Amino acid sequence: MNDAILETQGLRKSFGGVNAIDGVDFRLAPGELRCLIGPNGAGKSTFFKMLTGQHAPSAGRILFKGQDITGRMAHEIGRLGIGIKNQVPDVFDGLSARENLWLAARFAHGTAQARRMVEEVIERLAIGGFIDRPVGELAHGQRQWVEIGMVVAREPTLVLLDEPSAGMSVEETARTADLIKEINRSATIIVVEHDMQFIRQIAQIVTVFHRGRILVEEPVEQALTNPRVRDVYLGREAA
Amino acid sequence: MAGRALGLTAAAERPRWWWWALVAAATAGLLILPSYLDLAQQFDTSVLFVLAILALSMGFLWGFVGILSLGQTAFFGLGGYTYAVLALNTGETTSAFLLAIVLPAVFAAIIGYFMIYGRISDIFLSVITLVVTLILEKGIRATSGDQFVIGTVRLNGQNGIPGVPALQVPWDPQTTLFIDGVFYLSVVLLVLVYVGLRLLLATPFGRVLVGIRENERRIELLGYDARKYKLAAFTLCGAIAGLAGGLYAVWGNFIAPEAMNLNQAAQLIIWVIVGGRTTLIGPILGTAGVQSLMAWLGTQGVGQVTLVLGAVLIVFVLIFKEGLVPTVLTALGSVRDRLFGGRNEERRA
Repeated sequence: MNDAILETQGLRKSFGGVNAIDGVDFRLAPGELRCLIGPNGAGKSTFFKMLTGQHAPSAGRILFKGQDITGRMAHEIGRLGIGIKNQVPDVFDGLSARENLWLAARFAHGTAQARRMVEEVIERLAIGGFIDRPVGELAHGQRQWVEIGMVVAREPTLVLLDEPSAGMSVEETARTADLIKEINRSATIIVVEHDMQFIRQIAQIVTVFHRGRILVEEPVEQALTNPRVRDVYLGREAA
Repeated sequence: MAGRALGLTAAAERPRWWWWALVAAATAGLLILPSYLDLAQQFDTSVLFVLAILALSMGFLWGFVGILSLGQTAFFGLGGYTYAVLALNTGETTSAFLLAIVLPAVFAAIIGYFMIYGRISDIFLSVITLVVTLILEKGIRATSGDQFVIGTVRLNGQNGIPGVPALQVPWDPQTTLFIDGVFYLSVVLLVLVYVGLRLLLATPFGRVLVGIRENERRIELLGYDARKYKLAAFTLCGAIAGLAGGLYAVWGNFIAPEAMNLNQAAQLIIWVIVGGRTTLIGPILGTAGVQSLMAWLGTQGVGQVTLVLGAVLIVFVLIFKEGLVPTVLTALGSVRDRLFGGRNEERRA
């Protein structure tokens, strides 16, 4: 029917009569690294939560590889090969980073392959330096990388990241950008982000949300110089 | 945490050679102990091993799965009564002893199913397990009348069931275990349960259990069915508590409702808290330490033994929150750090 890995059709979410997402048609081709941006309240987080099964849409459909996944629970979506990372790190604080990765890999791969997968992720993300320390003792950025590692350890075909660089220093942000580009070699990625610096480092095509709708969808350099985008960020009425 | 401070192997990894050496040495030490103890001392010591098995069943659930079951004494008492009633009825003890493990496990599976699959919150699980043991205790207490008979055995209410048969050697039923035999059996079973639980922690199943303790919601988001794991752990620990109960009835040739009362349930919690629930050796040492202290105080004419026990509990809850074993391990770890510098860093935790 089409070659989109992820597609939404007329997606809508209303909270008490307010349409947070108001009829979004979105398409994502395999292999893309797409950033969703927009000012606060634009609806990008609501959109992300519907994609990841944390909010049920009020109307519309979500298709993953042509399969309807509308209204599935977060863990069901996780099992389809969609890796999800929310903004706040959600990890096992009392366990070592290695054990965190293993728990993530084990369910996806079974015992024999999980160990190998963990080593592969450590190598790929270059996180060996703190891999045997409890995650609860790690710096914020390191915790985020561990969780990104947990996503990667499941070999997802699609990765959904919500503000992965939030709260990070400039160096950490740069490293995270490299990580995401590395992951993109094997997976399609959607990143919700509002740090423009970060978006410049990673983005190819950005989708700009405004008032629950897609305002523009174009290559990052164009979008960042687009007067309509600048207007909505500055709070002016867009045309 | 404490284990890491001392460079001990994390639970997720298989135990190293020195762990096996320590276990073997400790077991050997315990097994030659009867040569130096008279029968009364052997009798008094073996019950510590029996109760330590019970403490392990609670400590494992609490410290490694995050389930605070206040009613492990329910399975303990059920195990004791199962052994007593069956052994007295049939005159055959091997199957009675095995059923003293199986029946409490089945009971744990049933109530565990409703609690865990019903997704009641942790605090309610604690309350319900406590209520279950108290109901069982009251129920048994109410069976004084001679109409309460199972087979040919009167339940006897609060007087308990006396004259519970000694355990027969399975392949030689004419021979029964005497006091020293029960001592050896208790040591062996305690070591088996301890080693078994330790090895379980290194399996994928055990590692997921610890993940549930750390963050149950996250485990579920990773795709695991946490309920299945928790129910399996709860059932296993019910079986272990039942094993302890059967052994307890063998040890004293007697079982009474006191095995399931509030006092017993509370003591169990104290053993585990004092010893330290985040290790497996903690509940064992906690049981032995607290029970020995109580027994010693009893002979010193202090009078208010429970008052002292209360003080001990308060000290541990307020000052040594982790319990004895983890506190000592942490202290040893920091001493070692001072002597040898940051060797921890290189070690795999």
